[in-house]
Amino acid sequence: MNTPFLDINNISKTFGGVRALTNVSLSIESGEIHGLCGENGAGKSTLIKVLGGSVRPETGSVTINGQPLPLGSVPASEEAGIAIIHQESAAFPHLDTYDNVFVGREIRRFGGVVLDRARMKTETATLLARLEQRFDPRTPVGDLQPAQRQMVAIARALSRNCRLMVMDEPTASLSTRETGVLFRIIRQLKADGVSVIYVSHRLEEVFELADRVTVLRDGRKVDTVPTNAIDRAGLIRLMVGRDVSDARTREPSVRAGVVLDVDGLTRADAFTGISFQVRAGEVVALTGLVGAGRSEVARAIFGVDGRDSGTVTVNGRTLIPADIQAAVQAGIALVPEDRQRSGLAAPMSVKANLSLAVLKSLARVGIISDAKEDALAVSMMNRMAIKAENTEVAAETLSGGNQQKVVLGKWLAASPRVLILDEPTRGIDVGAKAEVYDLIGKLADGGTAILLISSELPEVLRLSDRIIVMRSGRISGELPREEATQERILSLAMPEGAA
Amino acid sequence: MTVSFRNLAARRETGVAVLLGLTVAVVAGLNPAFVSGANIRDMLVQCAPAAIVGCGLTFVLLTGEIDISLGSMMGFLAAVMGLATSSQYGNLPAPAGIAITLAAGTAIGLLNGVLVSVGRVPSIIVTLGMLTALRGLTELIMGGKWISGIPPGLRYLGTGTVIGVPISIWVAAVTVVLAWLFARETPAGRRIYALGSNPKAAVLAGLSPTRIKLFVFALTGFLVAVATLVGTTQLSVIESGIGVGFEMVVVTSVVVGGASINGGKGTILGMLLGVILLGIVRTVLIFLNLGETSVYWERAIQGAFILVAVLMDHLASRRKSAEVPT
Repeated sequence: MNTPFLDINNISKTFGGVRALTNVSLSIESGEIHGLCGENGAGKSTLIKVLGGSVRPETGSVTINGQPLPLGSVPASEEAGIAIIHQESAAFPHLDTYDNVFVGREIRRFGGVVLDRARMKTETATLLARLEQRFDPRTPVGDLQPAQRQMVAIARALSRNCRLMVMDEPTASLSTRETGVLFRIIRQLKADGVSVIYVSHRLEEVFELADRVTVLRDGRKVDTVPTNAIDRAGLIRLMVGRDVSDARTREPSVRAGVVLDVDGLTRADAFTGISFQVRAGEVVALTGLVGAGRSEVARAIFGVDGRDSGTVTVNGRTLIPADIQAAVQAGIALVPEDRQRSGLAAPMSVKANLSLAVLKSLARVGIISDAKEDALAVSMMNRMAIKAENTEVAAETLSGGNQQKVVLGKWLAASPRVLILDEPTRGIDVGAKAEVYDLIGKLADGGTAILLISSELPEVLRLSDRIIVMRSGRISGELPREEATQERILSLAMPEGAA
Repeated sequence: MTVSFRNLAARRETGVAVLLGLTVAVVAGLNPAFVSGANIRDMLVQCAPAAIVGCGLTFVLLTGEIDISLGSMMGFLAAVMGLATSSQYGNLPAPAGIAITLAAGTAIGLLNGVLVSVGRVPSIIVTLGMLTALRGLTELIMGGKWISGIPPGLRYLGTGTVIGVPISIWVAAVTVVLAWLFARETPAGRRIYALGSNPKAAVLAGLSPTRIKLFVFALTGFLVAVATLVGTTQLSVIESGIGVGFEMVVVTSVVVGGASINGGKGTILGMLLGVILLGIVRTVLIFLNLGETSVYWERAIQGAFILVAVLMDHLASRRKSAEVPT
């Protein structure tokens, strides 16, 4: 046995108490195209960032051609011949295309003091031609279309003659034709002996390109299998896990009466023809892959964004588009995904956060009654088991799970007609999750109509009465809880074709 | 940077240059003395310190940070320079005074940079604190007295000429040209733009935000020292009020010249045009014989300029983001 080209050994990484990767080991041969699959949050992006050097793992090692790779250093990874095409936009919008391709590794002249623009431009032009792109290398990247920007990122990676290219969802913004160009390039790289790690939710692409595929789940490696020894359903099963116990603890509390009625909601380039209803006491999940348009729908319902057509009706009252105040007055509340930034008044006390939505009812002639506010805060703390020293401590000092309980407690006190929860348990630990689930159940029992947006399928299965799956801005299916399984949800969520 | 007429028309530099030309034409028509050699020279001498420091501040803004401690820094450095060299105090020779001033300026700039990039304190707060602290410190070390007895070697920097052109204009010209080349032609300059354009992507591209920010703040401190050397030696005494309001002049010039307070966008040329525009406004106000009130007018106009410039920037970026199909 000769040593593999790339050897990833027992990598673990924790972000603020949440384990992103646990003892992940993986090896890749030179000239191999290796697929990397997993659900949202399985740890794919973290693993890639470890390889790229922008994330330093707590434990583990990486060797390339038998040489140990210094971890946590972007220049060291580049030096070792690793090029990463990141999923999040790594472009510099104000800089010209050729600058984007070469920034950090500029071509220089006159003893390295001065940029050699002419050469950077011609080399960029050559790379763009190879990628069958026809725009001027001097175009500022901010003026390019998303697909062109993606091509710039690929040109950047190609420019460094790497030995390992890592691509994180490279086709997300590409058309079929551009995807074809990319695939040709990838095969060419393979023929030149370059190894490729290919991350994609589009399983067809993985099957078309990859020699082997590794599946991650919850930050652990599940398995590495040759792609010709597994099929799509098998791969999904690996991603989901066989041993998921759908502990359905919540009793359905659906009552008559539609509270939220969304009809034909459309917003160009985000989502099309979204129609569904949520009844009092019902929990409806809106799920799908990241980027399927779930959060965008929520934002349009709540009036953060406008809409091109369609209506949102709450208790028979049609809401004015793009008017958050109208949505709030109609009784909609939104717990945003980004709780630190937009769900919690972080420096304020737990008490102040809990009472924020019901201040009017605590006030007499416009003055907040301290006694009432204290009573509310204490009862909420006990009812929701918020772990804090007292009601006066700043909300930001609490753990993530307890912060989320404070956010939910705020709405529990206000008992809104409709509550939209966007990824309510993201980044909180298992114990706190269960308590948050209980709270969501209590809110539903109280008659609130709940729209749950979540990527975590066990959570969706556990909480919802009905599950609506979105794919590329459209509803691709709806499942009652009795018929829903992770496999069925995922196959509705995964794109069918390569484009 | 594709050159096309449409591009040119959209550039802030073009707008400021047109505004500048119009102002000069109108005022010169009303009073030809405005474009006399002597007046133009005086105007440029007045502009020189802002142009020198503006080079540093442009880079600070490009990284997405800001420095509003410039005025107090200048006052403090003038006091340091005076105390070191005055025949009544340190009595050091002029070259030593120059070295001390440059070193002190760089050190203060570096301190700003450390607090911002290592201490992770927002730069507006760091430099606001520095603005207040340095002004107080200046009063303290000067003990309420004016400093006179500045050695002739230093006075020469403020009063001397080379080929008939005042030294301060020469220094400003050289600084601007070097900064322009640095911004356009060097990898380091390009990385400053990259950091401000997308900080996350800069980290992924292997750039060090800490090092870049330390550099731009230290450079700005150094340039404030240069401006102090040529700008505060025109008079024979140094008083504690030197540099009051200078930070506003520089920040306004840079922002009017098209630099974005969100980073990533701005040029040395734009900064220079902004400095000259503000200088012309100041001179015009003097020509209008408004007496005492001309200072108030100057501040009001400066304030209006900065608001309009930021608003235009904001509207432009909003229009742009509305155009981009998602």
